[in-house]
Amino acid sequence: MERFQRQTILPGIGISGQQKLQDSKVLVVGAGGLGCAVLPYLASAGVGSLGIVDGDKVELSNLHRQVLYSEKSIGEFKVLESEKALSSMNSQLTITTYSVFLTLENVDNLITEYDLVIDATDNTEVRYILDEACRVAGKAMIYGSIFRFQGQVSVFNYQGGPSYRSLFPEEDQSSLNCAEAGVLGTTVGMIGMLQANEALKIILGMGEILSGKILIYNMLKNDQQIFELAIQEKVISEKAISSTIDLISVEKALVEGGLLLDVRELGEKPVVSLENCIQIPLSVLESRLDEISKEAKITVFCQAGSRAISAAKILKKANFQQVKAIRGGASDLLKLITNEKSIS
Amino acid sequence: MITINYFGNIAEAAQSDSETLDLKSMSLEDLLELLDSKYGIKKFQFQVAVNRKIISTKQGLSLSDRDEIALLPPFSGG
Repeated sequence: MERFQRQTILPGIGISGQQKLQDSKVLVVGAGGLGCAVLPYLASAGVGSLGIVDGDKVELSNLHRQVLYSEKSIGEFKVLESEKALSSMNSQLTITTYSVFLTLENVDNLITEYDLVIDATDNTEVRYILDEACRVAGKAMIYGSIFRFQGQVSVFNYQGGPSYRSLFPEEDQSSLNCAEAGVLGTTVGMIGMLQANEALKIILGMGEILSGKILIYNMLKNDQQIFELAIQEKVISEKAISSTIDLISVEKALVEGGLLLDVRELGEKPVVSLENCIQIPLSVLESRLDEISKEAKITVFCQAGSRAISAAKILKKANFQQVKAIRGGASDLLKLITNEKSIS
Repeated sequence: MITINYFGNIAEAAQSDSETLDLKSMSLEDLLELLDSKYGIKKFQFQVAVNRKIISTKQGLSLSDRDEIALLPPFSGG
């Protein structure tokens, strides 16, 4: 207990508070900028069991903000590199790593073991999937997100409180992620730290939780504002659930087979020519739906992923039953096909 | 005076974090129309807060002197 002496002497924590931390199980979804800020503080504070979900590998362009990783980490799975760093900080930790992306199919299994979930993703689709699963399972989801020099923090689904979808009912693909908008390490660091702080407060039963509220921090002005949610939690309609699109990897898309639908505009490169692949640009998709069978198993792709999601939504609305979208884009698909050919 | 605070991509569209309009009263719907004609805000998803409380419906609300409005879009980076 000497290790935690400086925090156990705080009013309201004590040995029993430390035991609560030791007994808690927290799942962190995303081991990028936010995850790298959240994880070391939970590990050092003595949270007994941590799960980390991320299918990505470390890239050079991550290092300016994802401070758990070093140059030696490049090319390695983020979850494994963060496990290494965290277990050297606290060898008593139980760390479980999941080197996968969270999907509609695996979300329930991933969250089931954990008391508390931290949304440290940079992907709106994944956030809606996680939010819905947490709402149904009655688990709090601590949300953090960045737009350039601003960050948002909130706690959703806390003790029956509002969900993310009740705040933002429509999925919005127009908001940029860090790769598109740019970000400073200190911005994700501070927002991640606020998420870790909410997690500690929830576990310890202290302070006011950001449930039913959203905090927005402007790093350039050092300005922090908290807005109250007046929205009543509504029963989520079937339509809202089915409008969430399942994202799958390129590998999985090829294994599953079915129709590959390229929704890029004509002339976009690289060209993907496969027997089971057809091209209908997103701009004309709605007028050409009759070219696709309603029963077909359809996997949509584009150049980077966001048009595929929009197209998948159009298809779902038009009652196509089996629609998925590829995470990534045409060049990932082509890379894999070429690899497979060279192996066989 | 009505103060409007912008966040995220809406602040970029408005090229400002905040502005005050010299209005004594106006319906929220008219204000949003006005801001749409200036900055094209309707292409964004956002919630509206009046005096730091997010409102559940934009219909039938009238704003008065010294009200503070905030337009809050979702963020997605991490």
